[in-house]
Amino acid sequence: MFNFAFNSFYEAIYMNGHGIYVWSVLIIVLFSLLVFFTVYQYKIKKIKEKLDEFN
Amino acid sequence: MEILKVEFLKLRKKTRIWLGPILVFWLIMIAYPLTVELLQDKLQIGFFSVLWIAILISMMLATEDIFTEDYNDGSLEQTIIQESSFSTNIGLKVFIYWFLTGIPVSILSFIFSFGTTQNFGLSLSIFPLALISSYIFLNLFVLGNSLSLNKGSVLGAIVTMPIALPVLIVLGKSITALQFDINFEGFILLLLGSLSIIIVLVPIVVSYIIRAHLE
Amino acid sequence: MIKKFIHQFASPKTFLLQVDKFYGLIFFTSLCIYIFSIIWGLLFTPEDFVQGNSFRIMYLHVPASFLSQSLYIAMAVSSATYLIWRVKLAAYFVIAIAPIGAMTTFIALVSGSIWGIPTWGTWWQWDARITSTLILFIMYLGLISLHNSFSNYEKADKLLSWLVIVGAVNIPIIKKSVDWWTTLHQSASITLTNKPSIDPVMLYPLIGTIIGFFGLIICLILISSKNQIFIREKNKSWVKDYV
Repeated sequence: MFNFAFNSFYEAIYMNGHGIYVWSVLIIVLFSLLVFFTVYQYKIKKIKEKLDEFN
Repeated sequence: MEILKVEFLKLRKKTRIWLGPILVFWLIMIAYPLTVELLQDKLQIGFFSVLWIAILISMMLATEDIFTEDYNDGSLEQTIIQESSFSTNIGLKVFIYWFLTGIPVSILSFIFSFGTTQNFGLSLSIFPLALISSYIFLNLFVLGNSLSLNKGSVLGAIVTMPIALPVLIVLGKSITALQFDINFEGFILLLLGSLSIIIVLVPIVVSYIIRAHLE
Repeated sequence: MIKKFIHQFASPKTFLLQVDKFYGLIFFTSLCIYIFSIIWGLLFTPEDFVQGNSFRIMYLHVPASFLSQSLYIAMAVSSATYLIWRVKLAAYFVIAIAPIGAMTTFIALVSGSIWGIPTWGTWWQWDARITSTLILFIMYLGLISLHNSFSNYEKADKLLSWLVIVGAVNIPIIKKSVDWWTTLHQSASITLTNKPSIDPVMLYPLIGTIIGFFGLIICLILISSKNQIFIREKNKSWVKDYV
C-alpha cells in the first residue's frame, strides 16, 4: 500500500506529462488555504490591537 | 378582489413600468435577426436561447420598481398593519404585474416564434412555456428586489439570477424535447410544479423580508 | 428543550472560550492528516489505468467540491437556526462561512478545469455539474455582496438568511445534476448506501484528504467566526475583558 509509485524523483515531478496539472492544482489549493488563514489571523490581530487601545 | 382592482389601477397608470419591459422584449427580438445573416435556417439556431434571455431581462425590468414607490411613500408600512394578509397582497401584486407584462410578452413570444420557425405547432407549445417561465422569473426577481429594497435593483437581480439559471437550463432542455418529440409534457409539468411552489413561497418569504426592512 | 440547549451553548462568549480550547488540537490533527494523505495519494498510490497520473488531482478536487456543497447546507441550517430561534451566533456563522464556501467552490472549479485538460481534452464544458457549481460560486459572491451592502448588521443578517434558505434549492440540483442530465462527469463513486466503486488503495488516501481538508476548513470557519464576533460584539464588556 505504501510503495513509491515512481522510479525516480524526476519521474514523480514529471508524472508522464501530467505533473504540471497535478502540482499546479496542489499549489493553488495550498496557496488559497494559506491566504485565508493569514488574512483571518491578521484581521483578528488588528481588532485585538484596536480593542487594546480602547482598554 | 378589491386589492386586485386597486393594484391593477395603480399599475395601469404607471405606463412606463409595464410597457417598458414589453418594448424591451420587442426590441431584443427585432435586434436578434439584425445581428445574424438573414438566412432563415441560421436564424432558428439561436432563436430560442435569445427568446428565453429576452423574457428573463424583460421580467427583470418589470420588477425594477415594484416596491420602491410604496416603500418611499410609506404605503408598504400601511399594508403591513392592515388586517388582510400581507403575503396575499404581494402575491396579488405579482399576479397583476404578470398579467400586464408576462402575458403580452408570452403572446409576442408565440408571434416571434411563428415568424422565425414558421412552425405553428412548435410556436403554440412555446406559449405555455413562456407563460410559466415569465411568472417564475417575475416571482424570483420580486424576491431579489425585496432583498435590495433601498439599494437599487441591480443588487437584487445579481443575487437572484443564480436561482433563475436552473429554470433557463430546463427551458433549453424543453426545446430539445419539443424538437425531438420526447416527453415535452414532462418539462411543462416540471415547470408547473416549480411554479406552484414558488407562487406560494415567494410572497411569504418576501413579506418577511419587507418586514425585516421596515423593522 | 432544543431552544434551551441552543441558548445555553451558543452564546458568543462560551463559543470563543471553546474555540480557544480546541482550535490548536483540531488544526494540527487536520494538518497532519491532510499532509500525510496528500503525500500518500500523490506519490504512493498506483497510476490509474485509464487516466494515468492525472487522476491524482482527485485528492485535491474531491474534498473541495464535496465541501463547496456541504458548506452551503451548513449555511442554510445556520440561517434557519437564526430565523427560528434568533441565535446571534448562527447569524455570525452564516456570514463567516460564505467567503470560505466561495473559496472551496473556486478551488473545485479551478482544479476541475485543470483536471479536464488531460482527461477530457477541454478545460471547460457547459455540462450540468460544472455549470451548477459555477452558479453556486456566483451565489456565494451574491450572498457576500448582499451582506456587505447593508451597514445595519441585524437587517443584513436577516436578509442574508432568507436568501440562503431560498438559494438552497440549488443544492439538490447540483447533487443530482450528474444523474439527471447527460454529462461528462461520472456518477458519485462513494455513496452512503452502496459499496464504493473505487479501489481501496486509492480510496483510503481520498478519505484521509477529505477528513484533513474538512478539519482545516472547520478551523477556518472557527477563526472567521471569531473575527465576526469581535466585529459585532466589540462594544460588549466581556469582549474587552477577553482581549
